[in-house]
Formats: sequence, C-alpha cells, structure tokens
Amino acid sequence: MADLFWAPMTELARMIATKAVSPVEVVRAHLDRIAALDQGLRSFITVCADAAMDAARTAEAAVVAGRPVGPLHGVPYALKDLYDTAGVRTTGGSRIFADRVPAADATVVRRLAEAGAIVLGKLNMVEFAYGPEGLNPHYGHPRNPWDAGTHRMAGGSSSGSGVAVAAGLAPGALGSDTGGSIRIPASLCGITGLKPTYGRVSRSGVLPLAWSMDHVGPMTRTVADSALMLGAIAGYDPADPSTSVLPVPNYLAALTGDLKGLRVGLLRSFFLDGAAPVVRAAVEAAAATLAGAGAVVDEVKLERVDLAGAGSLAVVGAEALAYHAELLRTRAAEYDPDVARRLRVSAFISGLHYVRAQQVRALVRDEVDAALARRDVLLAPSTPIVAPAVGERQATLGDGPADVRTALLRFTRPFNFSGHPACAVPCGFTEGGLPIGMQLVGRPFDEATVLRAADAFQRLTDFHTRRPVV
Amino acid sequence: MTNDRIDLDTLRHGAQLAGFAWSDTELEEIRPQVEAALRMLRTLETVDVGGAEPTTHYRTV
Repeated sequence: MADLFWAPMTELARMIATKAVSPVEVVRAHLDRIAALDQGLRSFITVCADAAMDAARTAEAAVVAGRPVGPLHGVPYALKDLYDTAGVRTTGGSRIFADRVPAADATVVRRLAEAGAIVLGKLNMVEFAYGPEGLNPHYGHPRNPWDAGTHRMAGGSSSGSGVAVAAGLAPGALGSDTGGSIRIPASLCGITGLKPTYGRVSRSGVLPLAWSMDHVGPMTRTVADSALMLGAIAGYDPADPSTSVLPVPNYLAALTGDLKGLRVGLLRSFFLDGAAPVVRAAVEAAAATLAGAGAVVDEVKLERVDLAGAGSLAVVGAEALAYHAELLRTRAAEYDPDVARRLRVSAFISGLHYVRAQQVRALVRDEVDAALARRDVLLAPSTPIVAPAVGERQATLGDGPADVRTALLRFTRPFNFSGHPACAVPCGFTEGGLPIGMQLVGRPFDEATVLRAADAFQRLTDFHTRRPVV
Repeated sequence: MTNDRIDLDTLRHGAQLAGFAWSDTELEEIRPQVEAALRMLRTLETVDVGGAEPTTHYRTV
C-alpha cells in the first residue's frame, strides 16, 4: 500500500484493527523512510528498528488471533529523547547522558504501550530542552523539511518531533513544552501540537527542565490524532502528584466539527500586534474562517501577559539550575555552550525574583481565566515569525526588532506560565512555502473544547494536509 | 545588584554565593546576559502583586 507513512494515526488504527493493513507493513514503511531520509533531517537520536519490528509482529499476531486490541494497536510513534524508555538510552539530547539507560518506562510511554502503540525511536531535541531554536550540536541540528535549499530551524525544544512528524517519518510523537517546546516546532514545521493543562498528563519518568512549567503532550499531523494520543496518556498518576484526578473524557468523541456559537477571543494586543505581517494576516483569516462557520469572535486583551517573559525567566531559570547544579559543577565542558551559558546566568536569579515571579504568575493565570470566563477559547499566533534560517539572530516583529530566541518564545510561554491548555495548528503558508501556526487556548482541563475548535478549523482548511518535499 | 552594569567582583561574589567557582573568563562571557536578565527581572519588582500568593501549579483538582 502506497504512502502508509502519510496516513493519520486514526486511520492506521482503523486499518490495522480491520486487518486492511498489517502493523508490520506500517512499521516497516516508517523505518524505511527513516533510513532513507533521516541522515539529512537529523530528527532521530536512536532508532529502535529491531524492537519496533518485533512489536509489530506481536501486534499482527494479536489481530490475526482476534484478541482485543487497544485504540492505538500496532500504530507507530516516536518520542522526544527525554522520556525514559526501559532498556533504551535516554539522552536528553546531551552527551552527558549518552549512555544513560533507564530501567523503567515513563508513565506516558507505558500508557501508550498499553494502548498498543509501537515505539519507532527517540527523537532529537535541544539539549535538556533548554532552548526554542531546536538546535543540537551533539547529535546534529534537525533540519526543517519545508525548505530544501536553506537549513532552517525546526523550532524547539522538541525539534526532532516536529521534523519527524512533518516529514512522514512518524505519524505522531511525544514532545514536551516548558515555554512553547511543543507549539513552536509545531508552528515552524506545519503540524499540530497540543500542550495540555498542567496536571492533565503525568511527567513521571520525563527528564525535567522546570518542574512547575513542564507539560507533556502529543505532536501529530491532525488534531484527531492528538486527541487519540491524549486519550491514551492523560489522567491521574500516583507517581506524579501534580496530576489531576479529574476523569479523562473521550476526546475523539468531542470532535463534532461544530463551531456554532463557539465564543472565540482574538488576542490582538501583544499577540497579533507583535506578529510579522504575514503571520498576522494568516491568523486574522483564520478568525474569519471560524466566524464564517458560526463561531462568535471578539477581541480581548491580556494586560499582564507581557510579564510572562520575566516571570518565566525567573521560574525556568531557577528550577533548571536546581536540576543541573551538580552536573554544571562537574561536567560543564560537556554541555552545549549555549545551554551552559543559560544555566550559569540562572545563578544570579534570587529567591526574591523566584517568589515574585510566582506571585505574578497567579495574576497572569487569573487574567487568562477572566478572559475565558465569557469565551470558550482564545486565538493567537503560535509564533510571531516563520522558521528562521539556522544562524539568524534577529527577527522583525510587528512591533519592532527582537532576537530570534525571544521572538520564538513570546506567544507560547504565557500559557506555560498560566498552565492553560493550548493547541497549535497550521493556519497558512508564506509565499516561499513556510508554514504559519496559530494556537487555540482553553479553560483548564477543557482540552475537549480546544481540540473541537482546532479540529473544526482543520475540517474547513487544508493547511494540515500539505506535505513538504523531502 | 540594582544597576545595569555589573562588575567582575560582583559576578564572582554572586557565583560563589550560589556555590559555583567559575573562572573570570567564564564570568565575563555571561556578563551581558546576566545584565540583561537582571534588567528583565527588575520588571517583576514594579508589579503591584497585592496579596497574591505565589503559585507554583495551575490548580490540582
């Protein structure tokens, strides 16, 4: 069967369950594509070819025998290399952990295995997830697949996840998002990425960047696939005390395609006003598309959202340094120099800064809550710019120049700071063929509405169906 | 550390207080970023936080 590697996870699951295709064929199609393309794309750190084929044969036998199967039975995926995988090295994108082999799976890896999913391999990322550009000097800089001529950033820190899914090397992936690390590569690579509510998905067995800002979530080509993956990984975990005991809804069932009466708050100040004109135009067009399908769109302003930058700097910096302090004392030379510099700067964040940032965090959270009190979702660009070339330092935003790193984080980290769920989807392309992304932000633990809105948008548009030439 | 400019002695002292023994070269290398970070962090001090309690998590239900 042709082009199995472009099939969505929902379709692969259906075809496998109905014996229209074997998990062995599906996994082999993806492994062949990885072998053919990843030397140039650099999206994988470790490919688990033998284990994946063994798992595929076992999955095939289960289907043939008519045994009950899970919702992702035989469907392959890949995961950012900060999720612990029993017996398979988990590097965190670092040389320091190059030979670190966990004894047990992270909770979400175990849950995906219980749902029947098969691991293709471990994905490249920014070292220890500390950076939005997506670069990694140790394992090679992942290459954004949307520009064959120029080596462009994939966005990070889940850059390998963005590249692998966009290029058809995996139908879905796990990323993690501390300041935008799912939504930024989703935006730059033209895919879907969901940062769930803080506490919706377990972080147990996931290498931390900043405990109180880290979010675990899926990266896929369609919203329906993110809903499928979220349903498998969400829910209370005694190993992660921050997880909620709220029941996990059927996210796929929430995807009705209905936008009538959905109240959408368009974030113009700071967000649309701060975006490059091509991004602003695409998101305004998306708002019009939603309105045309029955959504009620108004504009809303978050007065304190600009404080999320300083607040995140204090919180992420202090928490990251706490995790890395000992390694930084003993093995600093082995870090990516950029990551080591960021960690060193964090030594000058005071206790006062940290606590004040957490107070500001409460204010930002309350302000986002207030905006959502009369609206179902908020709409904003995911990133103010499209994928910069590797080495590019400065970007031109709607309200002036900014360094690329700050620009990439600007629209995403407010919702790590506040903890609200946010789903990034492609909403346009530049004339040069680079993807543009928007994000829909929802009420805490209301991923179902966020996914419904994002899925409805994908039913009305074809941006998520376009494929890069690789 | 309330001014934008930070001298090397201050950097040495700050690093020592945090438990790090970095060379002067390493400290000079991060000086611009430390100055920029502290400028940014000072904006937090200008915010009237009223009686807001520090929040580390969104809310766990």
